[in-house]
Amino acid sequence: MPDPIYLDHSATTPVRAEVLEAMLPFFGPRFGNPSSTHKWGREARVALDEARERLARALGASADEICFTSGGTEADNLAVIGAWRSLRHARPALVSTPIEHKAVLAAVHEVEAEGGTTRIVDVNAMGLVDAASFDDAVRDDTALCSVMWVNNEVGTIQDIATLAGVAKARGALFHTDGVQALGKVAIDMRTLPVDYLSISGHKVGAPKGIGALFVRRGAPITPLFFGGTQDRGRRPGTENVAMSIGFARAVELAVAEREEECARLERMRDALETALLAKIPDAVIHGRGAPRAPHILNISVPGTDSESMLMALDLQGVASSAGSACQSGSIDPSHVLTALRVPHELAIASVRFSLGSLNTDAHVTRVAELFPALITKARRLSGLVTG
Amino acid sequence: MRRVLVAMSGGVDSSVAAALLVEQGYDVVGATMKLTCHGDELPDRPCCSLDSVNDARRVCDQLGVPHYVLNLEKAFGRDVVDDFVHEYARGRTPIPCVRCNTFTKFRDLVVKADAIDAELVATGHYARVIDGRLHRGLDPAKDQSYFLWGLRREILSRLRLPVGGLTKAETRQRAAHLGLQLVANKAESQDICFVPDGDHVKVIARRLGEDDPSLQPGPFLLASGGVVGSHDGFARYTVGQRRGLPGGFSEPMFVVDIDPEQRAVVIGPRQALLGKTVFAGELNWLGAPLTQGDVVFGQIRHRAPATAATVITASDQRLELAFSSPVSAISPGQSLVLYRDSQVIGGGVIDRSPRSLPVAAA
Repeated sequence: MPDPIYLDHSATTPVRAEVLEAMLPFFGPRFGNPSSTHKWGREARVALDEARERLARALGASADEICFTSGGTEADNLAVIGAWRSLRHARPALVSTPIEHKAVLAAVHEVEAEGGTTRIVDVNAMGLVDAASFDDAVRDDTALCSVMWVNNEVGTIQDIATLAGVAKARGALFHTDGVQALGKVAIDMRTLPVDYLSISGHKVGAPKGIGALFVRRGAPITPLFFGGTQDRGRRPGTENVAMSIGFARAVELAVAEREEECARLERMRDALETALLAKIPDAVIHGRGAPRAPHILNISVPGTDSESMLMALDLQGVASSAGSACQSGSIDPSHVLTALRVPHELAIASVRFSLGSLNTDAHVTRVAELFPALITKARRLSGLVTG
Repeated sequence: MRRVLVAMSGGVDSSVAAALLVEQGYDVVGATMKLTCHGDELPDRPCCSLDSVNDARRVCDQLGVPHYVLNLEKAFGRDVVDDFVHEYARGRTPIPCVRCNTFTKFRDLVVKADAIDAELVATGHYARVIDGRLHRGLDPAKDQSYFLWGLRREILSRLRLPVGGLTKAETRQRAAHLGLQLVANKAESQDICFVPDGDHVKVIARRLGEDDPSLQPGPFLLASGGVVGSHDGFARYTVGQRRGLPGGFSEPMFVVDIDPEQRAVVIGPRQALLGKTVFAGELNWLGAPLTQGDVVFGQIRHRAPATAATVITASDQRLELAFSSPVSAISPGQSLVLYRDSQVIGGGVIDRSPRSLPVAAA
């Protein structure tokens, strides 16, 4: 079999060599606890503070605005639940969208369970938040709006600056899940009027298990955990020193390489998209026409199903994904495509390719051949297309 | 290399089946079907039989073959669970495993096999396919051919049942020998997978509502006539059942019939359970269809011996069979499976006998 092709970078990425190298001393000789007073502790503390500063600088933030977490999910939970709990008595409402990551959706449900009011705004067929619906939803009872920056399934980029502006004008706080935005869109917290930004390490070449929440100076946050006073009490627990250092390095690299890498990914993605549409004229590309992140291609072909396509691709050495995987690994129809009012027949057929550092033009060429061939076979089996 | 899709439950039988096929040089692809999601209903149990899925995945990893989880929940709910509750609601005792084999494993799973160019499908059933014909498993204590009569005949040529020639003990030995310690000593699952606590009434109530007539009170009738008490729902009873019946009789009493029209559970002594004639519908033939006068062996439950019988009438839809000697507790909803020696000729679902029944007023 030819070399395997990894087209699932939105799921996770390999740890970069530079990142691993930056982390290694902190698994070994520099193992100290940053809270300790002795030499080992001081060393770790200095390294952690430096990592926080470097990460902050890469985002246009201040070091004290960076709260390290265990990943994107914790950052999303901390922002949504932590901000709402801080303001619930004065402003009990929460505004979000139906296309958020489950980490936000489930946090919104938790707020509801705790007595909050939640309003879910409309999105259009391309996955963009409907401005009128958002305008109507954000009222003077609204504590927080949470809108995903780059959608992980279809790649749609929201106009976060405008939406955040609307929220701020009504006195509401604004959170954005920026997990897929990191390294793909320009992020400058000096000019972006958002109060909270979630990011995750393993999407940009850092290990799984590290992420961060940007908390703008003065924005309220009620911690989810209780214990020590680490991270200004926002996130008690001994800090993940090594991974925080790795994360900072990965973000620096991603930000520095962003323009060049995005141009490369977009060129490959567009080549793949063009080739697939030429060979499968009735294929539907989700999010097409909206501003879209350069690395995501989400395609549905009538008469096929995601589960079978993913298996067939994997057996040919091509990694892709669909919808959101259940705990067992089985595929359920995507809540994002459902919210985009994608017809059921297409929603169950979606395949997401997400390009990244591991991909080359040769991969695009091969998948542009392989995918249509697999589609032809699948459709012949389903009896929808003959010949 | 011929590709085979192996349905893997995470148990020892299907794990060994996969391992044996790898040994025999097949291009093995493992798949675990996600059929139910207990989710919120059973917080103490992992979602989607998660442990089983994880075990199957680990076995595949050890064997160096791919593994997938197939979401067949919707079709399974329709073809198996809905049928299960509707059968109980009309006074019958269904076997969901038969329908799961017929519809889920050997129809829906085969569609997935086609999608990945798997020419063959395999399971860990104790039955054998010999020259394109379905036979009992070699180990009489484990034989599962009774549950497989509903397969489409065309599937047999694509079907591999690698443990069908082994005893359970041999399968466990193979597992240990193959290094599959994870599953070698796993306990046998006895529950119906979507009724994990064994309480089928809960499933009926959840799907049809607590107020379904099958869960409402009704009379206990004597087979000889007369009301002798009341029960709290005929769906709680099955023909041949002894537990939960009124006492005070000179001999043990059993459920001998369920009459959904009157919501009646009819009881009688052991003798009243005996019958010589059985009717079956939903027929499926794996051998040449039987015709009137043919002699065959009929089996009316999983753990019953097959009994010699003669075909009284046979049509596409319906079979009437006369046993040479009386059989006990012919239960509507169970399967009638027809054998010649060890070969499965076909089968059907047992219907209620159209014999005269006692009425409440009698």
